[in-house]
Amino acid sequence: MQEVHVMGQYSQLAVGDIYTFLEACGVTLLVTLVSLVLGTLLGTALGLVRCSKNKIISSLPLIIMEPLRNSPLVVQLFLVYYGLPMVFGILLDAYPAAILTLSLNTAAFFAVLVHNSITAIPVSQWEAGYALGHGKASTFVNVIFRQALRLLIPQAITLYINQLQCSSMISLISLRDICRIGQLVSVRTMQPFLVWGIVFALYYVISFPLARLASYLEKRVNFSY
Amino acid sequence: MAMIEVKNITKSYGDHTVLKDFSVDFDQSGVTVILGPSGTGKSTLLRCINGLEKTNSGDILVDGLSVNDKKNLKQIRMTCGMVFQHTVIFPHLNVMENLIMSPMKILKTPKGEAIDKARYYLKKVGLESKEKSMHNELSGGEQQRIAIARALMMNPKALLLDEITSALDPEMTREVQNVLESLAADGVCMLCVTHEMSFARDVASRILFLDGGSIVCDAPKDEFFGKIRQENDRINKFLSFIGE
Ligand SMILES: Nc1ncnc2c1ncn2[C@@H]1O[C@H](COP(=O)(O)OP(=O)(O)O)[C@@H](O)[C@H]1O
Ligand SMILES: [Mg+2]
Repeated sequence: MQEVHVMGQYSQLAVGDIYTFLEACGVTLLVTLVSLVLGTLLGTALGLVRCSKNKIISSLPLIIMEPLRNSPLVVQLFLVYYGLPMVFGILLDAYPAAILTLSLNTAAFFAVLVHNSITAIPVSQWEAGYALGHGKASTFVNVIFRQALRLLIPQAITLYINQLQCSSMISLISLRDICRIGQLVSVRTMQPFLVWGIVFALYYVISFPLARLASYLEKRVNFSY
Repeated sequence: MAMIEVKNITKSYGDHTVLKDFSVDFDQSGVTVILGPSGTGKSTLLRCINGLEKTNSGDILVDGLSVNDKKNLKQIRMTCGMVFQHTVIFPHLNVMENLIMSPMKILKTPKGEAIDKARYYLKKVGLESKEKSMHNELSGGEQQRIAIARALMMNPKALLLDEITSALDPEMTREVQNVLESLAADGVCMLCVTHEMSFARDVASRILFLDGGSIVCDAPKDEFFGKIRQENDRINKFLSFIGE
């Protein structure tokens, strides 16, 4: 690997930097993907509990969701990485701290999407299911959830893109993700426009196709009740 | 024993009582048309029969099974297929899938058999060419005919039809009524809320007239449009009002 920063001397962008950036993409994608998977699972669970008819049960997930949705991700990250060890003596490495924070944050937003998609399906669809002899669970699985999923997927992709970009925060706890490597290489080469241009391009190349996919899927959903 | 026995039910929404100590029986035969001004409880009655609404008191037995016992609801709903005023095609499924989904999931009908049956009913409602269509490619009348075919897929003993043509234009209404007429000719038992008097005149065997949450008149069709109409001012007014 190219030495990233040598004190007192600047060096040109080199072939070795390509590998460094590729490794950094690996870090960004690893942390983001693991967090999105965990966040989606937890968010689905929270979102389903939000749909409960019992008002007390349905508001329980808000206890976790509201703080996560109403504070900056970077603050949550510092709280977990620097705060937990001080108060609870839980010392997390940078990776687990990053993944834990990003997963919880994703879960909070994902739960809202799940809840909204399910409640967006009109009551008449439930009744049509019941009237054919489906029970509650069967109506949910075969009628409601499959429609809700189509509303959910494009919004979920948009959330995922946003979380990918927010994952750049993990550079602040010195994980060597794309953004962190951008900082280091930019300082070493003194070519910030070029280096940040590369960083920009890397995020863009991953995000843009996903964004197109989301808007394509959104247009395909043409339910009118 | 009648197939559907409504026994002294009361149904209220909040402190607004819609059906008061209401009783009526339906045999598994013929077409009963339920008439009455809107807001009088016709939909509520049908929704109570298949357990979409809980009654406050009294009991409804369908084939001897009480709607008050949750365990019976599935059977009761299969016995009484229901079609609503506003069409409810499942928008994530095409026409064929709409028809075969429930028999396959609930009755465990093998797919091939379900498809054959679906084709039979699609032909019955005149839509055999629409197997692959999605809901937004169908007119309102076509959607209602699909909903009828979908209900028939569950082998109901009776169909509960709640103003299924009232959101349709006259031409589509005619198409749906033709389907109902041919089902009636096949001997399918129907409880039909409608404002289409031509349908009541042509197809009904029995007329139930509701007003203010109770039965004003329960009579064979001929009697209803003849003697009863002449003698009962309220019914005469209602029929004149809707242009009969
Ligand atoms: N879900 C409901 N909540 C409150 N009131 C209702 C509800 N459904 C029906 N009602 C009221 O019950 C009465 C009877 O309604 P309905 O059975 O729909 O009448 P109909 O079908 O004869 O027009 C109406 O006054 C209506 O406003
Ligand atoms: Mg009604």
